[in-house]
Amino acid sequence: MLDLQGVSRHFISGRGHVAALHDISFAVEGGQAVVLTGRSGSGKTTLLNCIGTLDLPDAGAILYQGTNICTLSSRQRNLFRRRQVGFVFQAGNLLPWLTIAENLQFPLELNGIRGAAQQRRIEELLAVFGLSGYDKALPAELSGGELQRIAFARAIAHAPAILLADEPTASLDSDNSRRLVELMLALCTARGTMLFIATHDQELAGMIETVIPLKDGKMETRP
Amino acid sequence: MPYPFLLKIAAVTLWRSWRATAVLSFMIVTAVAALVFLSALAVGTNDAMIRNSTGLFSGHIAASGIREADVAQLAMPGVSHVLVRRHLPVILRHNSLIEPVALVGIDPDREQEATALPGKTVAGRYPVAGEAAISISQDTADRLGLAVGDAVTVADGQGVGLKSLTVSGLYRTGITQLDQGMAFCPAAALPAGAASVSAAFFLDADTPLDTTVARYRQRFPAGTFTPWTEFMPDLKQLIDLEYICMAIVVTLVFAIVAVGISCSFLIFTLKNLREHGIMKAMGLEAGETALLLLIQIGLLTIAAAALGTLAGTLTTAVFAHTGIDISTFTSHNQYFAVSGILYPRLTGEALLTPPLVAVVFGLAASIWPIVYIIRKNPADILRNF
Ligand SMILES: Nc1ncnc2c1ncn2[C@@H]1O[C@H](COP(=O)(O)OP(=O)(O)O)[C@@H](O)[C@H]1O
Ligand SMILES: [Mg+2]
Repeated sequence: MLDLQGVSRHFISGRGHVAALHDISFAVEGGQAVVLTGRSGSGKTTLLNCIGTLDLPDAGAILYQGTNICTLSSRQRNLFRRRQVGFVFQAGNLLPWLTIAENLQFPLELNGIRGAAQQRRIEELLAVFGLSGYDKALPAELSGGELQRIAFARAIAHAPAILLADEPTASLDSDNSRRLVELMLALCTARGTMLFIATHDQELAGMIETVIPLKDGKMETRP
Repeated sequence: MPYPFLLKIAAVTLWRSWRATAVLSFMIVTAVAALVFLSALAVGTNDAMIRNSTGLFSGHIAASGIREADVAQLAMPGVSHVLVRRHLPVILRHNSLIEPVALVGIDPDREQEATALPGKTVAGRYPVAGEAAISISQDTADRLGLAVGDAVTVADGQGVGLKSLTVSGLYRTGITQLDQGMAFCPAAALPAGAASVSAAFFLDADTPLDTTVARYRQRFPAGTFTPWTEFMPDLKQLIDLEYICMAIVVTLVFAIVAVGISCSFLIFTLKNLREHGIMKAMGLEAGETALLLLIQIGLLTIAAAALGTLAGTLTTAVFAHTGIDISTFTSHNQYFAVSGILYPRLTGEALLTPPLVAVVFGLAASIWPIVYIIRKNPADILRNF
């Protein structure tokens, strides 16, 4: 279980004081999917970064299994990310000089999954995502939809507890978008993975039950 | 993170982005190749100066005060030639002109084999064994009004004529000690008298100078054995100076190359900044990031240094075969009295210093990009794309 309690994050920038997140509180269960909606600049990325420990809130707490991950040392946060978190970004997720198989190998190596188990896991992932036979291909040889599917495969390769997807469909057409989100939902529900998707696409938002609408860093009550 | 996987990522990244790798390595390859060749050239120049200076007459070791009884025992392994010379102070007289010289009784055949002085004959020819002939310098001939074929009287210190010798040839070396106050005749033609015995020793290329001198000193305590480094301290200093210059050049070149590598590598890492951001987001730790970059730059510099060493060695081999003729620049230089041709030669030091320095400086140059990437927050990296 993930419990956000009064999470706030402020930035001082050229525009002055910006409240990217203000007093965000909600709780998510394992296997639950959450969609963060809101216009550009509403704080979606900042919230995902805080949950993924890439960023730290100035106030509030984020409890994972009862532990406040915001007070962990930077090394512990690193390990938390490595074991429990998978990221899917808008685009350019893969390491361009590694093959598809090597990209999938990365989180497995980081988590000590090697040898035959690793091999099996990579083949299984490629099969599930309909990309068997792509293992030796380089990212540059794949289409946008295929790349996002591989990015998703890599994000869940080590079976993390939390999957964070920041506008994962922004570079895809609506057909591909829909299929990717369906796949994400199905796999995360089946595996008990918490799924956070940030998007400004209302159609996609409609596919997911739990919606957290953000506006200027604050949670809006749904109209 | 296991090291083999980091090594694999580093290697395939370099391999698959080979254009960037080639551009990055180019500077190192060129610098190492140039410095290997330059070092070999410096060694070759020193070789040439030593060969010229010792090969003209003196040998690598000069001995004086040798006892007649020891003359037959002077050979030693590693010593290619032992030239025994008997010096008699005499006065050369022609018409009313006189000139004091040290008349040196030599074995003309062996002198011709080992030294370049016979080749410095400018008129006539070098004396032949057994002949009552004398070879004098052009200077001495001018002062005595002598020409090839003239007879000259050899007199003792009191002016008493001892012998008459025919001038077989005139020589000129450009070196004062040889061009003034010396004359040469076959040993048999040397007038009887209290001649002192000296010897010139020529060593094989790989015979160590100092230990050979020490051995001679020990075996013949009566004689005085002097290595060329002592009787030509100027040449010794010149060679030391050249090594110091070479060391400064190597260091400077690599300091410059290191700045270049550092800048290029920073650009290379900045180009891959997003990838580093993603790897950090996935949980790659600072130490692992540093190691990845260090392996990358390490592989790059080692490969480039090896390639540069190979290129430098090949270039050296070509010129060692053909030689480099710098006679135009050395014709008035006493250290190149015999020949102005250099043969670049690789010593262990010349071969290993440039690539080692390249790798050390290359690794030092990786510090800047490493610190840059480690300090960068992945959220900031990923936000900007
Ligand atoms: N590192 C930062 N420095 C300054 N301002 C930032 C920084 N990160 C985010 N912001 C600001 O915080 C607000 C929320 O940004 P973000 O979370 O990226 O929104 P979204 O992902 O919903 O588009 C924006 O106004 C943005 O400009
Ligand atoms: Mg965003």
